[in-house]
Amino acid sequence: MTPTPMDKKDFVSSLILTVFGIGVMVESARLPRLENQNINPFTVPGLVPGIIGILLVICGLFILIRSTLRGGWRLGISTAGTAKWAKSSAVARSIVTLVLTISYALVLFPLVPFWIATPLFIFSFIVTTEAMANGGWPKPRALLTGLLVAVVAGGLIGYAFQELFFVRLPGG
Amino acid sequence: MDGLMSFLASLSSMATSWTIVDVIWATLLGIIVGMLPGLTATLGVALMTTLTFNLEADRAILILISMYVGAIYGGSRSAILLNIPGTPANAATALDGYPLARAGKAGSAMAIATTGSFFGGMVGMLALAIVAPLLAEVALSFGSYEFFWLAVFGVLVAGQLTSLDDPIKGWIAGFLGLFVAMIGQEGIHGVPRFSYGSTDFAGGIGLLPAMVGAFGLAEILTVMRQEGYEVVRSKVDSVWAGIRQATRYKLTAIRSGLIGTFMGLVPGVGEDMGSWASYAAARQASKNKSEFGKGSIEGLLAAETGNNAAVPGALIPVLTLAIPGSAPAAVLLSAMIIHGIRPGPLIMIENPDFVYSVVAMVFLATMAMAVLGLLLTRPLITVLKVPRERLMPIIFVLCTVGSFAIASRTFDVGVMVFFGVFGFILRELKYPMAPLILGIVLGDILDKSLRRGLVLSDGNLTEFFVRPISLVLWLSALVFILATMPFVRRAVLRILGKPGQKGTDPE
Repeated sequence: MTPTPMDKKDFVSSLILTVFGIGVMVESARLPRLENQNINPFTVPGLVPGIIGILLVICGLFILIRSTLRGGWRLGISTAGTAKWAKSSAVARSIVTLVLTISYALVLFPLVPFWIATPLFIFSFIVTTEAMANGGWPKPRALLTGLLVAVVAGGLIGYAFQELFFVRLPGG
Repeated sequence: MDGLMSFLASLSSMATSWTIVDVIWATLLGIIVGMLPGLTATLGVALMTTLTFNLEADRAILILISMYVGAIYGGSRSAILLNIPGTPANAATALDGYPLARAGKAGSAMAIATTGSFFGGMVGMLALAIVAPLLAEVALSFGSYEFFWLAVFGVLVAGQLTSLDDPIKGWIAGFLGLFVAMIGQEGIHGVPRFSYGSTDFAGGIGLLPAMVGAFGLAEILTVMRQEGYEVVRSKVDSVWAGIRQATRYKLTAIRSGLIGTFMGLVPGVGEDMGSWASYAAARQASKNKSEFGKGSIEGLLAAETGNNAAVPGALIPVLTLAIPGSAPAAVLLSAMIIHGIRPGPLIMIENPDFVYSVVAMVFLATMAMAVLGLLLTRPLITVLKVPRERLMPIIFVLCTVGSFAIASRTFDVGVMVFFGVFGFILRELKYPMAPLILGIVLGDILDKSLRRGLVLSDGNLTEFFVRPISLVLWLSALVFILATMPFVRRAVLRILGKPGQKGTDPE
């Protein structure tokens, strides 16, 4: 049987899920049982997480067996295939979006003043993604529009949260 | 009669100019959020919760309900004009809405969608007013056993109905959600679970940052991955013709309204299934089945009536059981708790006026949706022309600041990012999001109810199975699970003497 791309994805993800489920079971068993506090044994903190771990393992194994029977274990990873995947515009857009958003949320937002970090992020996002969409560096007018959107949006969001909703934003 | 009087009293107390202004701007914003591919009703309500958390409770909930109603309706615009459902609840709308728009009947299609949404909202609102007090009364007899089964039933049914092709993935999503809810201090002995010494983890995973990530960042990544879209270039005809056409299918509208409301009522299922189930039922009952998928007025009307009826339907379990009927309703539940309202079985005793206030809020939002939808048919099309490259970074900034604003913790921003990336991967693997969120909401109830139930029964599991409501709930869950198994369906068909139907099995 020729596996579909989903069978291969299911094979890998169910393997991870099964291992994760086993991890949840083990960690649940290691949770304190509070015997010294003389609690009712049916209220031990690890009971429900342990059951969830067991359910995850059962479901993970079910998909693992199903995808294996369908040939999902034949991942068929090749250098040419990986190169083709990496060159697709959809993958490039996903990676650029991921890098820009994570950089903003985890680095710029907590560490750099909001009024610098936010317009910088919005402008970078607009310029990069428009350049990718149009296949070249945006024209001066598009750059100016991007800058205007970045400054106005950043300013309005910052004003709304800090002045109207009294949220102290991080980043100094 | 008391209910009607309470509803009228709530409505008259809300008839202030500021309330009307709030309803109009929040519904309009909801329509815009719903229209824009990548912005769902869940994200809209979640972001709005972060913007309204320091308003007084009634005003904040009114704004959130208006946003919710507007967004579920607004999604029909992009479904009709772009063939891209603005929210997942509008997927069935695109099937007939887009062919109508391509045939030069975009105005009529939008009017049919508006009429259907209005009618659905009204049917759902009536059900909310009638069913919520009754359900609250029944819920008063719920104990640990019943709440345990309700949580189990919710996760299993939501998992199955949101992932019909592969229910096990829906259940896994639900179990993962339940696991997320286990992180942090547990509610009986205060023992931190899966925290590993981190005070942030010991505080638990906030529902709102998780939802903003799963429905915000994950959606941004999905939208940016896709190729760009183009608004259908067709004439926008008169909307009045569409209203006249829609009103010819009264039976379809009533049936769809009732189905949508019921789907909203089922925990975690919500508007998507409300729309699909109504569409399927309309097709089944129609004399013109062949028109479905090619621009059927009945199909479009059923889909839009069904999803908007599910909105008030989803509020019924929120108010009476503190269990959400849909993902946006889960955010509303959190918002109610943030604002000091205690939804649950005691609501009709502690705060009966609030239930009727919610009915009045749904009424006002539905009226505003219909008026704005019909009056702004052409101007709203320009919203769809905003390039995603300029819109998405602004949405992401709102996701980031919104996640932070609730508790002023940068940890919550990390939670948002994690759930965004995790949600994106799960979507790619065809795991639904709604059971994950429902699992996070129900985890605490399930955990406490199971352990308390075991203490009460001294470990005797039969107590969980024999009480009348428990019996109904676990039997229903079992039937749902068995119904997914092909060999069980085949066996049932054989027993019914219909072996010939094997070939027509939907799977």
